[in-house]
Amino acid sequence: MKKIDITCIVDDDPIFIFGAKRMMELSNFCNSFMIFKNGKEAIDNLKPIMQSGENIPDVILLDINMPIMDGWQFLDEFTTIESHKQITIYIVSSSIDPMDINRVKRYESVSNYIVKPISIDTLKQISVDVLNS
Amino acid sequence: MTQISKSNQPQQTDISLLDFIQKSAVIGTWEYDVKKMHVTWSDETRKIHEMPQDYKPNVEAGLLFYKEGFSRNTITKLFTNSIEKHQKFDTELQIITGNGKEKWIRSIGVPIIENNECIKVQGLFQDIDEKKKNTELIAFKEEQLRNTFENALVGMAILDLNGKWLQVNRSLCKMFGYTESELKQLSFTDLTHPEDKLLGVKAMKNMVNGTIDNFETEKRYIDKNGHTIWALLSSSIVRNDKGEPQHFVAQLNDLTSAKENKNKIEELLNTTKQQNNRLLNFAHIVSHNLRSHYGNLDMLLDIIKMDLPETTENEVFPLLGQAVQHLGDTVNNLNEVATINLKRIENMKSINLLHTVEKIISSLSGQIISSDSKYCIDIDPSINVKGVPAYLDSIILNFLTNAIKYKKPNEPAKIELEAHFEENNVILNIKDYGLGINLKLHGNKLFGMYKTFHNHKDSRGLGLFITKNQIEAIGGTIEVESEVNVGTTFSLKFNKYEEN
Repeated sequence: MKKIDITCIVDDDPIFIFGAKRMMELSNFCNSFMIFKNGKEAIDNLKPIMQSGENIPDVILLDINMPIMDGWQFLDEFTTIESHKQITIYIVSSSIDPMDINRVKRYESVSNYIVKPISIDTLKQISVDVLNS
Repeated sequence: MTQISKSNQPQQTDISLLDFIQKSAVIGTWEYDVKKMHVTWSDETRKIHEMPQDYKPNVEAGLLFYKEGFSRNTITKLFTNSIEKHQKFDTELQIITGNGKEKWIRSIGVPIIENNECIKVQGLFQDIDEKKKNTELIAFKEEQLRNTFENALVGMAILDLNGKWLQVNRSLCKMFGYTESELKQLSFTDLTHPEDKLLGVKAMKNMVNGTIDNFETEKRYIDKNGHTIWALLSSSIVRNDKGEPQHFVAQLNDLTSAKENKNKIEELLNTTKQQNNRLLNFAHIVSHNLRSHYGNLDMLLDIIKMDLPETTENEVFPLLGQAVQHLGDTVNNLNEVATINLKRIENMKSINLLHTVEKIISSLSGQIISSDSKYCIDIDPSINVKGVPAYLDSIILNFLTNAIKYKKPNEPAKIELEAHFEENNVILNIKDYGLGINLKLHGNKLFGMYKTFHNHKDSRGLGLFITKNQIEAIGGTIEVESEVNVGTTFSLKFNKYEEN
């Protein structure tokens, strides 16, 4: 069975990163991780990776509320980078504010909005969606 | 008059001239011959008495024309004195004329003395009624005006062209806390708030040079205690016949308390805004921060279950799981409430009430059939209410599920829904014949958060609270009548939907 290669998590919450990583390991979700603590760090690191065309992540799980550069700012910047590979972006947030949920609809590059906490079932669904796209 | 009295022989004067003078001045003459006891009146005197020209008076009759009381007593005394004590008199009294009219007259009498004995009294008789009445009227009007000025509730003043107070009224003194004499030592500029000194100066110049006649402005003054006074100043200029400016008339309306009230309201508004902002922040904290902690806990529990299944086989772990689940529910409930309260409802739509009720009933059909519940709908298909469809759904759903949930234990639920227009509102009555609520006991907390009144497994004490919030969010109100073991009627008032 096919498997996601690289998953990128952009989140400032170490507990979420720990938990999400562990769950992915337990459910055999992907081969490797890329972890960034905020939007800025993610952009700075992803830009050269995208240009080189090597080790480009398959999935990005993006938090909204982060210091320095938040999820929205990251999206605005990230969509200007030319990509050679299909990248599936999920917003993963604790916010159930309808304003946030509606805002996602304005971004074509974002596949879906996932409300934390994530579970094994959510991961399975993501896996299916990514591999089929 | 003394000149006339010196001439003791009026008979020698040119008759026609005397007549002319008598007529034009409305003055008559009279004479009393003491020895003959004979009285003579001139034509004019008869006219003033409104008596025919052939009327022949005598002393008694003459005195009887005077108004009984003060006037008659006075003339009798003066007349007697003139004969006995040789005293002149000149007095203003009232007579009653032949036609019964009351009249003010001036009566002058001069005794003619010969050999130290009074032989005649000669006199003048003048109609001063109109003059007297005019004077009285003017005095009355002046008094009235003065009272108006003095007792006016607004501050009033007359100022000279340099802005010095000439006359101030009581209200103005009260307004500034100065006595009248203190105030008159000051000019209006002395009392003006430093920041408003220039206000109205140009207008005053323009009033003096005739460009404008009056002006009005809101300005601040300082009272004796140094407090700021807000006043509406209305000022106008008074000119003489030649159009030369004489003085200013100023009216000051104290606006201080109105201003202070306005400031208080603004302060309250500010506080409310701040509190609202704090609530918004609070909603955000609930929506995001609390949820993220709950999410982490829930996720960590999942990981423990997978990673360390042996640690979950004890009494404590399931309880921990439950506690985390309850935390999540509470956060979700709080969030529901916060979003209703804080969201400003703008585009409210027209919602057909009957359609909504039927839709909710059909979605509940499973519950209705299994519980053997009966319902009766009396809602005109033309009734539309103004609101948010999701809220109206939730409101009706809540009342219907409550009515089924809190039915009497040994009989099926019976629900009646009835709606009608009342002015610009739609009233929806939802009546059940269920357990009822003791309103004396629970009335004030019926719509409170986390309040339950029946031991039912699904009571979470949030339904009525959220429902009430949703009703209010779309501009409605709710009332309740209930009796234990008889039933409950909720009466909802919504805004009727009208085009535009």
